[in-house]
Amino acid sequence: MSRRDITAVLSFSIVAIFFIFGALMIHPFGAPDETGMDDNIITNAQTETGANNAVTSVVFDYRGLDTLGETTILFTAVAAIIMIFRRLNK
Amino acid sequence: MSGMSKIVKTISGIAFPFITIYGLYIIAHGHLTPGGGFQGGAIVASGCAMILVSYGSIWTMNRVREKNLSILESLGAVCFILLALLGLGFGTVFFNNFLVGTNSLFGVVPAVGSGLANINTGGVIPLMNFAVGLKVIVGLFGIVLVMAYASRTKEGKK
Amino acid sequence: MILEGIHIILPILIVVAAAFAVLMKDLIAAAIAVAAMSLLLSLEFYILQAPDVAIAEAGVGACLTTAILVIAIKATKRMEEDA
Repeated sequence: MSRRDITAVLSFSIVAIFFIFGALMIHPFGAPDETGMDDNIITNAQTETGANNAVTSVVFDYRGLDTLGETTILFTAVAAIIMIFRRLNK
Repeated sequence: MSGMSKIVKTISGIAFPFITIYGLYIIAHGHLTPGGGFQGGAIVASGCAMILVSYGSIWTMNRVREKNLSILESLGAVCFILLALLGLGFGTVFFNNFLVGTNSLFGVVPAVGSGLANINTGGVIPLMNFAVGLKVIVGLFGIVLVMAYASRTKEGKK
Repeated sequence: MILEGIHIILPILIVVAAAFAVLMKDLIAAAIAVAAMSLLLSLEFYILQAPDVAIAEAGVGACLTTAILVIAIKATKRMEEDA
């Protein structure tokens, strides 16, 4: 085994150990540790935002600025791609 | 990319209206059922990309101008930010849901709990869904269309 | 019981599809393997009770990414060369 192989095996095992520890320490499915904000949104979303879908009410109302950032990312990506390929199309 | 065979063209022509209707349904019912602007827009853009792949980029580029796509995408983004700013103007803060509780357009507050859904609810959420949906449809389809057209020019040079 | 079995089988299938995507010499077949991986991943999201993410993954991952990859492969070469 060369030195490069040993380095690869070592780094791979260190990453694998971290992942295994993370998988062992994960909480059971459907039972998060902190439930304060979830319960607040689930009980109040219908009356506060008027939307039956709690996920959409979070995405577009409670966390609207995140959606604005996502929209900006998409807009920038589309603008850059169209700018590059418009020059190529001529 | 030139077009594919006649079978592919016919089948994609039959399937395209159904895919579009399904995507528009997901956008319009974003505040009631799972999904929203981004998801429905991705579905409609997938249908448009299917038409693009089966009919070829030259055929599509002759019907849809790339400049119009840019204008429509900017229109969606401007509508989204304008709705957020209207929350600042009519309500209290940025992204305030100022239409809810007014009993006008999309302003009805639904009954708490699971029951029959009313589409006239949600405040500004459906309008934002429409804006984001328009933006995602046009943006994703514009990416695919421009890339396909660029690969067409390279084939022509060969 | 059935749900737990699906929870075990689906990630294995996802890994198998990803391995196919890496190992295929034919790039069109690799793109189809990526699409299959995205579709299985969206099924996994649906089983984990996230239908929003499942719809987005099915639309973007399984259709648009495949279309872009197929267009790129058609503009270049289909078969992968030996390094």
